Amino acid sequence: MKAAKSAMLLLFLSPLVPHSQAEIRHIEMRVEGMT
Amino acid sequence: MKQHLGRQVGVQKVEVSLRDGKVDITPKEDGRVDPAQILKATYDSGVSVAEMDMTVRGKIVKDENGNLTLQSLPNQLFVLAASDLSQSLAPLAGSGTQVTLRGQLYKKMEGKKKVDTAGPLKLVVQEIEKKE
Repeated sequence: MKAAKSAMLLLFLSPLVPHSQAEIRHIEMRVEGMT
Repeated sequence: MKQHLGRQVGVQKVEVSLRDGKVDITPKEDGRVDPAQILKATYDSGVSVAEMDMTVRGKIVKDENGNLTLQSLPNQLFVLAASDLSQSLAPLAGSGTQVTLRGQLYKKMEGKKKVDTAGPLKLVVQEIEKKE
């Protein structure tokens, strides 16, 4: 029962945890025609 | 252009160097920035993009066509353009190993005025920064 409660808690809280493994770190562009 | 790009989803900071024609974009930590959308937004603001590079972290997987792909959260897939460097990542496919890559996502074709973002952008791996 305790394990089931923990699993439910984890399920509900997981979207709130920052996606530390995500991600685009940096984007760099070279552009033309900028004034 | 700076303001327009700053309003795009997932963008935290935009720095523009008029002298070099360089635009640096720092994404928010939620990783929801979409490079294709950034590319389109840049064109929409009246300038053309000569090239776009990015640093991205994710897992190497194979897509349904067997192409090596970098899977980055949240749910972004970047097909890796075939090269010796991308092939060196093949053994990591499906292993769950996180890699950090620097690569070119877009380069303007000579004579083309308009950007084509209809198809998926391919990532040309230029450097493997980290495997963990």
